[in-house]
Amino acid sequence: MAASSNSPAVPGQGAVATAPFYPNGNPALPLNPPGVRNTDSAVPLHRSAPVVHDYNCEGPAAGKLAFRWIYGSNVAAKNRDPRVQVVQYNEDTYVLRQNVCVHWEAPFTYLLFGNGGALLIDTGATANARYYPLRETVDAIIARWADARGRKRVPLTIALTSGEDIAQNQGLGQFAGRADTTFVPRPLEVMKQHYGLGKSWPAGLGTIDLGGRVIRVVPTPGTHKDGVSFYDPYCDLLFTGDFFYPGKIQIGNDRDFVASLERVKAFMADNPVRWILGGHIEMMFAPGRYYPRFATYKPYERVLEMEPELVDEVLRYAREIEGKTMMMLRGDFALYNGVSPDQRTQVWPADLPKLFPPHPF
Amino acid sequence: MDRRTFLAAQAAATMAGSLAGGAKAAAAASRPAPVDFKTSAPAKGSFPDRWICGSESCMDNTDPPVHVHWYDPHTAILRQNKAYSYEAPFAPLYFGNDRVLLLDEGFTQLRNDWDLRGVVDQCIAQWCARNGRDPASLELLVAFSHLHDDHFAATNQFADRPRTRYMGLTHEEMVGFWGMTNFPEERVTLDLGGRDILIWGSPGHVISEFAYYDTYTQILYTGDMFYRGRCYISFWDHWFASMQRLIDFCDTHPVSHVMGCHVEISKDGQDYPYGLTWQPDEAPVQMTVEQLRHAFEFAKTITKPGIYFTGTVFLCNQTRSTTTIDQNPYRYG
Repeated sequence: MAASSNSPAVPGQGAVATAPFYPNGNPALPLNPPGVRNTDSAVPLHRSAPVVHDYNCEGPAAGKLAFRWIYGSNVAAKNRDPRVQVVQYNEDTYVLRQNVCVHWEAPFTYLLFGNGGALLIDTGATANARYYPLRETVDAIIARWADARGRKRVPLTIALTSGEDIAQNQGLGQFAGRADTTFVPRPLEVMKQHYGLGKSWPAGLGTIDLGGRVIRVVPTPGTHKDGVSFYDPYCDLLFTGDFFYPGKIQIGNDRDFVASLERVKAFMADNPVRWILGGHIEMMFAPGRYYPRFATYKPYERVLEMEPELVDEVLRYAREIEGKTMMMLRGDFALYNGVSPDQRTQVWPADLPKLFPPHPF
Repeated sequence: MDRRTFLAAQAAATMAGSLAGGAKAAAAASRPAPVDFKTSAPAKGSFPDRWICGSESCMDNTDPPVHVHWYDPHTAILRQNKAYSYEAPFAPLYFGNDRVLLLDEGFTQLRNDWDLRGVVDQCIAQWCARNGRDPASLELLVAFSHLHDDHFAATNQFADRPRTRYMGLTHEEMVGFWGMTNFPEERVTLDLGGRDILIWGSPGHVISEFAYYDTYTQILYTGDMFYRGRCYISFWDHWFASMQRLIDFCDTHPVSHVMGCHVEISKDGQDYPYGLTWQPDEAPVQMTVEQLRHAFEFAKTITKPGIYFTGTVFLCNQTRSTTTIDQNPYRYG
């Protein structure tokens, strides 16, 4: 992977534990790396034409998840965090999180921009805009971005990692009637046609062209029969929804789940992935520990981003439980195959340290 | 109490101590006659049609932190708000002429998060105002149904409250608090001042649990070993024996209601899974003796671990503590 920036590696943000840590920058790296050109200059006072952004880069575009996520509060009724937390990954990539005290699923929603429009991946777990003003937030980000880029119109595409997942599709209605907006249709059959995958599903790749930034659509049924993942070749991010995320993965069909992981692994051999970003966080940063369903206070959450190597681990254990009705606990995720979402196991993985996070109440 | 009233209270207490006996006698004479809890039993009381039961969005919950319901003028039942803790336990507050008994202290520890002590003090002040008493004359007993943290989290809020005794957090201290020497069979009588509470052991959900029977309302408070929801039975033999004790008690004593600590089930028998923060169609907390008897008869047929629905409660025989009957709705073939 090309070093994309001179910024220090931050522990827990994709840094390998044994890698050297440069809190003040790595002096060995070039002072003017090529990735600089992917950020548009703020210097010009008046622009004569819209900015045409350069989405070509070697390696992943510079970007960082530098902030911790809102994580609810001990007394949910007293929570005063934003209802939608917005974190800019880079100028053209935003990560939005729903407040845990509005909905315990606290899904992540992603907003990507290209020269020809924007893509919203997923829409959150709450329909009521008073509780969860997703549209208002997205509109405001788009308006600011459009202003900065000198663009009059920014067509928006709304795609879901699964059309049937009620933890990700509830905000859809807020965008009803929105001008210049394309909705990837539901359910599965029409969605396949839309992506041009009618014949090949679940093989093949769809595309969403944002203008210089072509998002790939990778069919990943397994937790949902209409599951897809999205690959952004600009930032080298793979958005997997609840097909793969640091949490309690509820397998809908184990054969599909394994087959999709194999396809993702093959895809990643040709397409570099910096991080895999899922739709939720349920694991704690203590390995093998997770929050139960409906938790509204998650102070020890694991970070969102997953190393691409984790796909090998999940594939290995998914194969192991294929055809078995059971739960499998691992350090960064848990697999649930045909069991209750509240299932627990008394089998502790031998290779994991047993840490006991404090119990806040 | 701010600093000024604190100092004033100290001064008043000193003054009162140094007054002549005549003044004390006058004060005693002005004290109203004690409430008669014996001849008026059972108390006429009622449960609310609807308890606070959470909200779609927790941070938009506008219900009070504690729902206080006066079952009768001498009995308050408290419920924690689901947006303050999903466990939302119910806690009775029994008033006698000399003492007040609080059973259960919720699932939130700190007073700044959830002011249980303030709510209890307010209830005591209301009762005293109605009955012409001085709150300082009443002793408060802070106890709990069983040794789980969703039932005792707020106990330390009472550490600096005058005239208050509270139960310790070990089996030894709990049994000792009620002066028992033969747990769980021994039944002790706690006199709140004309109002007797009968207490005996009720292990099964946990080892350290009591059943509480109030002779005035005739409510049998069964904690978490029997409640409208998932009775997580950790130790079947202990639980079965405890149920037998409850049935035997109902054979010999009038019981108006059987009441547990939680509600985890809807009116039409739908299971509200563990941790849910919105239960818009909750079943009532109170149950009948018939429902208790029926559940016991049902339990006699259970021979294996598993989750069984009696029509009133779920009996979760040795299933791991938060396992529910929920399925993954997105399974496909």
